[in-house]
Amino acid sequence: MTTTQPHAATTRSPDRDLIIEATEVVKTYDTGKVQVRALRGVSLPVRRGEMVAIMGPSGCGKTTLLNCLSGLDDIDGGKVLIDGADLSTLGDARKTEFRARRMGFVFQLYNLLPVLSAIENVELPLLVSGVSARHARAKAERALEQVHLIDWARHKPAELSGGQRQRVTIARALVNEPAIVWADEPTGDLDSTNAGEILDLMVDLNARFGQTFVLVTHDLNIANRTHRIVYMTDGLIVDEKQIRDLT
Amino acid sequence: MDELFGISMTLIMFVLLGALAVSLSVVLYVVVRNRVMFLIGVRNMPRRRAQTTLIVVGLMLSTLIISAAFTTGDTVDRSLSNTVYTLLGHIDEVVQRHGEGDSAPNEIDSTIPQEVNDRLRAAVEAANDPNIDGYLPVLLEQVPILNPESRLSEPSVTFVGLDAESLDGFPDVVSTATGEVLDVGSLARDEAFLNESAADELAIEPGDRVQVFVQGQPHEFTIVDVVEDRFLTGVGSFDRTEGLLTRLDTLQELFDQPGEVNIIAISNRGGVRDGIGLTDEVVSSLEGIIAAEGLAPGQSQSGGFALEVDDTKRDLVETAELAGSVMVTFFLVFGLFSIAAGVLLIIMIFSMLAAERKSELGMARAIGTKRGHLVQMFLSEGMAYNVLSAMVGAGLGILVAFGIALVMARIFSEFGLNIQPHVTLRSVVISYSLGVVLTFVTVTFASWRVSTLNIVAAIRDLPESIRPNPEAGTLRGYLRGVLNAAVAVATAPIAAWLYFLRGHPFSWPAHQRPPGERMPLGWLFVVLAFPLALSYLVAVLLVRLTRDRKPRNLPSWLMLLGIAAPPVGLVAVALQDRDRPIAWSVGFATLGLGIGAVLFYTGLTSDTAFPFAFGFSMMIFGVAIILRFFGLPERPVFTTMGVLLLTLWGFLAGNRLEFLFGELEGGIEMFFLSGIVMIAASTFVLVYNADIVLPVISRLGGLFSGILPAVRTAVAYPLASKFRTGLTLAMISLVIFALTMMSTMNLNFNRLFLTDAARGGWDVTVDENPNNPIGDLRATLLASGSSAQDGFRATGRVGLAGRSEVSEVRGGSRDFSNYPVFGADAGFVDGGKIPLSARARGFESDDAVWQALRVRDDVAIIDGFTTDEGGGLFAGETFQVSGIDPDDEVFDPITLELLDPISGESGQVEVIGVIELGASANFFGIYIPEETFGRVFGEPLLSRHFVGLLEPGESKAVAQEIEATLLTSGVQAESLKQHVEDDQALFRNFFLLMQGFMGLGLFVGIAAVGVIAFRTVVERRQQIGMLRAIGYKRSTVALSFILESSFVTLLGIASGVGLAIWLSFFLVTSDEFPTSDAGFSFVIPWFRILVMSGLTFVASLIMTFIPARQAASVPIAEALRYE
Repeated sequence: MTTTQPHAATTRSPDRDLIIEATEVVKTYDTGKVQVRALRGVSLPVRRGEMVAIMGPSGCGKTTLLNCLSGLDDIDGGKVLIDGADLSTLGDARKTEFRARRMGFVFQLYNLLPVLSAIENVELPLLVSGVSARHARAKAERALEQVHLIDWARHKPAELSGGQRQRVTIARALVNEPAIVWADEPTGDLDSTNAGEILDLMVDLNARFGQTFVLVTHDLNIANRTHRIVYMTDGLIVDEKQIRDLT
Repeated sequence: MDELFGISMTLIMFVLLGALAVSLSVVLYVVVRNRVMFLIGVRNMPRRRAQTTLIVVGLMLSTLIISAAFTTGDTVDRSLSNTVYTLLGHIDEVVQRHGEGDSAPNEIDSTIPQEVNDRLRAAVEAANDPNIDGYLPVLLEQVPILNPESRLSEPSVTFVGLDAESLDGFPDVVSTATGEVLDVGSLARDEAFLNESAADELAIEPGDRVQVFVQGQPHEFTIVDVVEDRFLTGVGSFDRTEGLLTRLDTLQELFDQPGEVNIIAISNRGGVRDGIGLTDEVVSSLEGIIAAEGLAPGQSQSGGFALEVDDTKRDLVETAELAGSVMVTFFLVFGLFSIAAGVLLIIMIFSMLAAERKSELGMARAIGTKRGHLVQMFLSEGMAYNVLSAMVGAGLGILVAFGIALVMARIFSEFGLNIQPHVTLRSVVISYSLGVVLTFVTVTFASWRVSTLNIVAAIRDLPESIRPNPEAGTLRGYLRGVLNAAVAVATAPIAAWLYFLRGHPFSWPAHQRPPGERMPLGWLFVVLAFPLALSYLVAVLLVRLTRDRKPRNLPSWLMLLGIAAPPVGLVAVALQDRDRPIAWSVGFATLGLGIGAVLFYTGLTSDTAFPFAFGFSMMIFGVAIILRFFGLPERPVFTTMGVLLLTLWGFLAGNRLEFLFGELEGGIEMFFLSGIVMIAASTFVLVYNADIVLPVISRLGGLFSGILPAVRTAVAYPLASKFRTGLTLAMISLVIFALTMMSTMNLNFNRLFLTDAARGGWDVTVDENPNNPIGDLRATLLASGSSAQDGFRATGRVGLAGRSEVSEVRGGSRDFSNYPVFGADAGFVDGGKIPLSARARGFESDDAVWQALRVRDDVAIIDGFTTDEGGGLFAGETFQVSGIDPDDEVFDPITLELLDPISGESGQVEVIGVIELGASANFFGIYIPEETFGRVFGEPLLSRHFVGLLEPGESKAVAQEIEATLLTSGVQAESLKQHVEDDQALFRNFFLLMQGFMGLGLFVGIAAVGVIAFRTVVERRQQIGMLRAIGYKRSTVALSFILESSFVTLLGIASGVGLAIWLSFFLVTSDEFPTSDAGFSFVIPWFRILVMSGLTFVASLIMTFIPARQAASVPIAEALRYE
């Protein structure tokens, strides 16, 4: 196991292979009475096409890190470059647009809109990016085909199983062909069979399309299917393990 | 105001206070027995302040509307009775010639000779009744007055002569300058007091001189002082307040009526207000004295001359109270739409509160909280909001009513009514209690609904799954649903029935029973109640014994038996397995179907529209629910039901189904029922079919690709929440429906009365002054040097009786009512073209009917208000004929008997025509030949001339010229067009006021939109986070929320407007609408509808603005973690 000290990677030189360059990221939650330092200077580089799993005990800051890296949450210190772009310098509208065009998200609780059908959920990111309705529909159908759910396209989330819902979420994350897919406990709400299938799907997509995946997970079996595992404790990266090489 | 719907207001107050006490006791019970539930409920209140504010606003609206209605009643009652007390002063009763009835002072022309007056005065003095402290003979005459200095004039002023010796009990002649009581006896023969109204009109100061014209001759009087407006200072009626006052003997001499008086005013012991309590004693005493003098009606020695005592003050005060009560009823009925919308809002608020706290409630249930506890918790919270918001509502209602009073004061000022805001404690108590109780009932229902949540679904925040019913769609399941519903419904009346059977005095006291009827319920007790009570006991026993051994399925025969016989049903229900789901909806729907069928039949057999329409509506709803139970898909079933109901209601309006069901009678209640049923039907159609607009909207949204995602979610969310969307839709459309309907019908009725035909070919009316008859109008104008008559196309004249009574001749009985009778001359018949809505059989044209009035002496033409419910708008007029149907165009002649109650003369005439309703407002009354009029009524009280002009557009100028030319004769000329327009303006203003009041209900709909918007921000927090994560900008999220509210609001507005136009179109274009004018077409007040709809829409946008901003600023990462 290769162990990396928490601050060892803070001064990496710019690398065109790196799609994510997080340097000394600090995030503090201030509730008015108590200050919680969720991230205490995290640095994390991720290469293009890499699949990275973030692991650690509950409350260690995994989800916070994912949110800060993806621009869902603002950071209080440090720097995050996504594909060379510093998210902290972008306004909300630009950041949102950046997310819509360059990122995809998969969450534990699926976060699908219950009132829209599977295909309507999938095409939403395209519509907000300004893709015409006709093209959005065609791409959404292709995305559903990739996750083997085209026959369920007209069904609403409540009519799908947990595994199917997560496939819809993945299709939605991939429909705009993002550079990075962020996944927060993507299999956390699934049984082992469905969890395995979802992971197979993600690994397959990663291999076929070369998209970067950053996963937050508790499950070592899942983490072991990625290229690299990053371990966190108390808001710091305390360890790293290279599982397989990025080819 | 002492009564409402015929029930004592005090009784209503005590009943409501009782209900309030029960409601509060329930909460007190929770406080004592389950303090924790109470605390949980109450502590929820400050959790979301904006939402709490909206809830309080929503809950208080019903109370506000009720409070405004009652306070308006108080205001009208108080203002009118104050006016009565002020004007009558110390007069409590009036002794007058028999037959005058309740004539206004300026209408009384019969006189009492001096000999009778002296005899009566002596008798009253001899009787020395301590309750009578004033006896005042009064003479009243109508005269024109001119201010020779300013040339200002008044054509009709009441000139009063008071017996100066008898003024002791009547300190009512009060100087406006000093406030002192003036001495009428001090006036010289050429001196008078002028009342304030006349002084204002004529610009007269004390010391000025006026000219009074009697028989065309001027008489000069010096005005010694200006006095307050009173009946005794010449106020003739509410709208004729100008008066002049002098000594009785001066006036008698001026009019050559020595010793004669018109009335004798009586003052009871006490002041202006407290004397009224002695009315019964004084009237009885005076009637005794009159009878003892042989002057009572029917006494042979009176030789046809008789006196009567009129309880003037009490009568007018009671009229004021009635007017107050009518106002309350009017405002309450029209407020019902808003109150109904308020009830829906309360149900929705509590459903949403429950949805918001679903996981907490699920948790509470999981750890052992019972359903009853949840009800208690929500009830506590609801009542805490309720008790406070009803207070605010009652207070704001008073403010609204005071605003209404200000508007009414402006509208009615020309009638001399001084409307002043007033509220009584009793009304406040009633409004508050009614508001609290109404909300308590609604909150209890909503809380019960909330308590039925599924624990697992609630904890995991899953959609509420419907518990699978293994008997769904089966006959067995259906029968069990019906059985349980039947027992549930039957239990309440059975309990009440048992109570009545106990022989309680309220049940059917002996003195209320029909003669010869023995206690009919006695044997029923033995035959029915005993087995019933026994069944109940058996059922209770079975519940105990079979607690753990109940059958899974009840046999069908037992259920059928139970449905047929409720006592058996009670036993059967006790036997069933409580864990098996019951299809309550289909059970109640079947009962509704049965009850609906009974109502339908009742309406059909009694020709009453309300039970008929309510019945068939219930039947259609019932059938739809039953069909759905048996597996038919919801969408086609409820859509067909809605469309069927809307179609039937459209055809029912205007009796278009008369060929099937006969003619059905209905009143204002049909307005409310039609609104409720049609809105319900339309809401079903909309919520089940609005998704068909999705592709259209998507396509439209596609034109602006930037907003397409927002449009898609904005439409998808409301369509996914049918209950919530349906309620909001219903709330908005209910109120918009009522407002649009009112505007549309008002506009169409206004046009009906404003048509040229409604003026009957005449343009100007000229009323003579009784004391200055002018004879031939053209000749008089010519003699006065006017050229006005050159523009005349035609003139006609009718004479009006001072007092006339009419009865329809049906068999031997007569039922006389006061109604104006006019004697028409040949000019009136030839020169006019008054349209008729119906003619007697045998008359080919309207002209033939009018010509008959000229050549025959036994015929009459009546106005449209006298036929049954002629127009509805003026229902309640004093004379109605039953022999002519308002829808008939041809009728068999009916006979009327006409009576002069003063002289006792009478005569019979045959009705041969009915004036069209649109023209009836201008030609109100019964028209008979001039000769016949003379035979029955003698000389007319006054003559009214009608003038048709060559240039009708000049009517106003011509009227002014006639009045100016004949100033000294005191004629009053008026442009008919102007008159109608003034009347319509009054109606219009009043309707606008009503619309403003009903518009309060829109706050309910708008509050609902706000509540939903605030709630959805919380509810969709995680989804908003996700949308933001995948690329929704802040503005897109906000736009989505605003579009969502707009979608629901616009659907509600469109539904309300569409239904109102649909219904009013059917009404106005039906034969029921009272016009035969082929050119009359249905019009829609688009401008007003657009303004109303626009304001509603903008208000809903404003209401959504804050939650939309909140949604847009949801922190993404935080939202994604949110649970």
